[in-house]
Amino acid sequence: MLNFNTPIIGTKEYSEIKISEIEPILKINLRGKNRNFITKIGKELSIITPVDPNTSSSNERLNLLWLSPDEWFLYSNDKIDLKDANLLEDKLFNEISKPKLGSVTNISDHWIMINLNGAKVFELLSAGCPFNFNNFKNSKGTVTQTLLNHIDVIIHNKNFNDLNLFVRRSFSAHLWSWLNDSARFI
Amino acid sequence: MFLINCPYCGERDQSEFTAGGEAHIVRPKQPTELSDNQWAEFLFMRKNIKGVQFERWNHTHGCRKWFNMVRDTSNDKIYAVYKMGEKPPIK
Amino acid sequence: MNKNLRIANNKFIDQTTRISFKFDGKTLYGFKGDTLASALLANNIHLVGRSFKYHRPRGIMGCGSEEPNAIVQVGNDASMTEPNSRATEIELYEGLEVSSQNCWPSVNFDVGAVNNFFSPLIPAAFYYKTFMWPTNFWKLYEFFIRKSAGLGKSPTEPDKDIYDHRYLHCEVLVVGGGISGIMAAKTAAKNSLNTVLIDDKNILGGTTLFQENECFKINNSYSNDWLKKEIESLKSLKNLTIKKRTSLAAYHSYNYLLARENLTDHLDLNEKKDKIRQRLWKIRAKKVIIATGAMERPLIFNNNDRPGIILSYSVKKYIDYYGVKCGQKVSLFTNNDTAYETAISLSNSGVSVNSVVDIRDKTNSLIVKQAEKLGIKIHWKSSVVNTNGYKKINSIEIMKLSDDGTAVVEKKIKEKCDCLGISGGWTPRVHLFTQSGGKLKFRDEGNVFLPDKTELDQISIGSCNGDFELDEVIKNSINLTNKFLKVSNNDYENLEIVSSKEIDKKNIWLLPSDKPFGKTKAFLDFQNDSTANDIKLALREGFKSIEHVKRYTTTGMATDQGKLSNMHALGIIAETTGVKIGKLGTTTFRPPYTPLTFGTIVGRNVGEFFDVIRKTPMHDWHIENKAEFENVGQWKRAWYYPINNENMHEAVQRESKAARDSAGILDASTLGKIDIQGSDSSEFLNRVYTNAWSKLDIGKCRYGLMLNEDGMVYDDGVTTRLSENHYLMTTTTGGAANVLSKLEDYLQTEWPELDVYLTSVTDHYGTVSICGPNSKKILSKVIPNLDLSNKEFPHMSFKNALIDNIRCRVMRISFTGEHSYEINIQSSFAKSVWEKCFEAGKEFNITPYGTETMHLLRAEKGFIIAGQDTDGTMTPVDLQMDWIISKKKYDFIGKRSLYRSDTIREDRKQLVGLLTEDPKEILEEGAQIVAEPNKQPIEMLGHVTSSYFSPNLNKSIAIAVVKNGKKLKGQKMFVPMRNKTINVTITDTVFLDKENKRLNA
Repeated sequence: MLNFNTPIIGTKEYSEIKISEIEPILKINLRGKNRNFITKIGKELSIITPVDPNTSSSNERLNLLWLSPDEWFLYSNDKIDLKDANLLEDKLFNEISKPKLGSVTNISDHWIMINLNGAKVFELLSAGCPFNFNNFKNSKGTVTQTLLNHIDVIIHNKNFNDLNLFVRRSFSAHLWSWLNDSARFI
Repeated sequence: MFLINCPYCGERDQSEFTAGGEAHIVRPKQPTELSDNQWAEFLFMRKNIKGVQFERWNHTHGCRKWFNMVRDTSNDKIYAVYKMGEKPPIK
Repeated sequence: MNKNLRIANNKFIDQTTRISFKFDGKTLYGFKGDTLASALLANNIHLVGRSFKYHRPRGIMGCGSEEPNAIVQVGNDASMTEPNSRATEIELYEGLEVSSQNCWPSVNFDVGAVNNFFSPLIPAAFYYKTFMWPTNFWKLYEFFIRKSAGLGKSPTEPDKDIYDHRYLHCEVLVVGGGISGIMAAKTAAKNSLNTVLIDDKNILGGTTLFQENECFKINNSYSNDWLKKEIESLKSLKNLTIKKRTSLAAYHSYNYLLARENLTDHLDLNEKKDKIRQRLWKIRAKKVIIATGAMERPLIFNNNDRPGIILSYSVKKYIDYYGVKCGQKVSLFTNNDTAYETAISLSNSGVSVNSVVDIRDKTNSLIVKQAEKLGIKIHWKSSVVNTNGYKKINSIEIMKLSDDGTAVVEKKIKEKCDCLGISGGWTPRVHLFTQSGGKLKFRDEGNVFLPDKTELDQISIGSCNGDFELDEVIKNSINLTNKFLKVSNNDYENLEIVSSKEIDKKNIWLLPSDKPFGKTKAFLDFQNDSTANDIKLALREGFKSIEHVKRYTTTGMATDQGKLSNMHALGIIAETTGVKIGKLGTTTFRPPYTPLTFGTIVGRNVGEFFDVIRKTPMHDWHIENKAEFENVGQWKRAWYYPINNENMHEAVQRESKAARDSAGILDASTLGKIDIQGSDSSEFLNRVYTNAWSKLDIGKCRYGLMLNEDGMVYDDGVTTRLSENHYLMTTTTGGAANVLSKLEDYLQTEWPELDVYLTSVTDHYGTVSICGPNSKKILSKVIPNLDLSNKEFPHMSFKNALIDNIRCRVMRISFTGEHSYEINIQSSFAKSVWEKCFEAGKEFNITPYGTETMHLLRAEKGFIIAGQDTDGTMTPVDLQMDWIISKKKYDFIGKRSLYRSDTIREDRKQLVGLLTEDPKEILEEGAQIVAEPNKQPIEMLGHVTSSYFSPNLNKSIAIAVVKNGKKLKGQKMFVPMRNKTINVTITDTVFLDKENKRLNA
């Protein structure tokens, strides 16, 4: 059996901030332009496709984040069983990509999910992120793609002071180290 | 550092964007039928105005969409942003 | 401490906590709350430094950020010493060590002071004029000038302190915590606006905080008592954040501001450890209220720079706030009412005030009357014409002014004193306003530049907006704030304000002297030592623009940016040339407002975080196996894997040989990968690559070359057709992000009709590349059920496969010319697959190789590296890759440019191979190639782009670009180097296996 490796391992706790890597999480990129595409993914996933900028929809299993007018980011709530890693991808690919409605791409390992939790998470982000979180932090489900310490990230406001941050895998060890270095000064 | 109102994502810091030069230069549909001079006109000639200029910008670290901007290069004031394919809201 | 110089009762200084510090090696004492300046003054130390040019003794002149003279070196640690710190801003702490600057051997005996005697010989622009010739002598001059000039000493080791950056977004930013700023911040926060108030001091309140005078009352309280209650009331405001010890450094467009917060500078040495020293706040404010106040102006008269000559309001702050007497017998010299406030404070604190010298004829304002009531002597319509005392002032000389103010008349009076407080009026701090792009207007009353037009959402209130009287400050500040924030705050509506009004105003920029003008020394810019004479000389020599005069005389170019000197320079220019000041304009104030340390600017982007680092999934394996790494963009790539004590050359030779003799393994995970889906994917590839894609069978791979519209090679890579409308494109490591962005650009702007979607999957896959004659055997061990026969799995094709039930894609493609495979698998399993391949390859001596060997192997085959062998000026034809340009396609990016008159020139630089006459001689990359080494001037025909010693061919090989190179095959050329000229022959670019036999070996 092949070994499963993640670039970061574990959880670190600071005063009012907890930083944890959570993997394996299923992540799928969805792209499409027409109405059929939007209704199709809604139907396939039993989720309302978010069409308002910087928003998301969630159900018990999945979260669907708006990335751009023709791009969405799907990720699982819980860690997945590696046996089933391709089930949803295959189903969506057959229902969406094959009939030429849009594209379905497995990006589970393109991104690493880091959960940030605690009263001071936004203070932590302000150490390296130019984004204005003042309104963002008060509404559940908001999403932003921005830069954190010069690195592209997707931030999903899962719950109050409970964020899921996605960073490309190759950058993740560096960002992890930066987050921890920042957290010790908060 | 500008504050740019991405037509898709809203107000964001300039560091999320990249500038892409003059806007509204359409790639000729039939390049092969152009003379060297006509092709060079498309390829090389840019206005680079001091004053109000139409520019292309990309929200590189956000939605990755390209859009247009009307900006005064002398004081960096942004008069409008609009989506690709849309007519400039200001002349 | 000199007890006689301290006042016993003081509200601001904790006189129960004594602090020891060192100044020029001598241990001194101050109190908690002192600044270095106040503590020095309490120790009767005025002389703290020497002037820049003439090395004249200089003392503390002010009490804030505009201090020009009292700049010191803090600390003596080689990594943390900091030059040019203002003594007036350094808060005293236990263990503070400072020393004077710009003097040798000591501040009390300075050899450079000899310059003062030669000063008539050192006029403005002396250095420019004198050291211009002979030209060759500059080197010699520079040595001595550098030695004697310059202010402090730079640290010689890396800064050990920690710095930080933070972003901050607010609705209202108030800069300055004086009375105006406090009222504005309170108004904003009370109206539910998210407000930030910053102030550079350790306590809010500005100058009103210590204004305890009958002439200034609000609602029957002293103005300071009223303000204290206001400050207290800020604490209960939820929407208000207050940042003290935070000074605004820069104000950019779009209300983007930078502020430096001092976190540990005031702490005792042992408390500073492991804490962030300073933090740079990057503030984005919807609205900005500037309430930065005003600076007191000096007066310009003969010998106005002696230690003990202090701005009058600073004298007042030292006595009222710090409880420190600047002298025992103080004289004051003024053109306005400010000095009377000082005189009253001094007198009330028991300091004897000799007199006030006032250039005005006579005035009867409230405050002047109060001074007179206290019996303070006033010399009306008089001027100080000279001061005496070398290291500290000991007397002044006073004369009456003529009616027109241009001369002094009557008898000279000598008055003994140990301190002279001077006041030339007030200059609004408009620096931030102008930094933000705002335009100024000139107001004759008070001779001040005031904020005028701005493009930004900002206002200036209080004395930085030209209000100097307490009642005006309060009324105007609150009206402007309410209007600006569109709120109504009635808190300050019916205030009963008592405020002394200045009735008479008079200003003389350059005060007359009884001595001839040329014999006086009236300093304008104290830090850079420029005098009124220098300005006049510059004007005589023909300089007219203020910007030119500034540079010629260096007025305003010191570390204080001429905060105190600029107005007088303008005034003197205006008077001399007869142009109105308003017409002259000002020089540009540039950020930072006060100097920032590099550490603050850099923040935590040092050491580990200097640059972003990307790692492949196999990174840890490379480390365990002692790889040396190479930076490729932000990636850390394994460069070579030295065994025992191999150097790079030895390791690369070994790795290259092994890869061709048996098997090599390379981490190719960094290549850019783009997933392409959509019904127009084939058409899209047709348009972006030079070759044709429609007929590529499913399951096949193809190499593509991507051009810019100008026809020059931009990127290359192999693209695989996964299914009918599904491709996987690879790009170069460095080009990945740009290629994706460029392709998105075309899809979004030029070809929106195409049904194509691009998704980056670079990080999703790890790529293990195994090559060499035994690669097939190794792969068959890793994936036993995959048919690897040439028929089933030929070169340039791909297969889906499973390794331990995990999906992967195997491409049979080759960048080395060897039989090879690339396994793409989800990154989480890539390291495991790599280890599995390595294990399987052990019996074949599988050798891990890095980027250097990869480069060598591909060079043996003549494969280019976009970005190494190309530089944005090479077309595919120049690369001798005509075969890759489709003749049938109507259009693709860059096609039209391939037959522009310039690109069809036959004598363009073209890609060729080079062999050295001596096979052991390795050419240097970048070396120039010439045909006639003895011709003058020598004609450069091209240069070497790649060069290696090939262990497989046992000779040196190189790739180069040479003018008209295609036609020069077989020709002898020369590569002139520093010590020798190397003979080379132009060859084909393919050095090894021209028939591609090894691909199927």
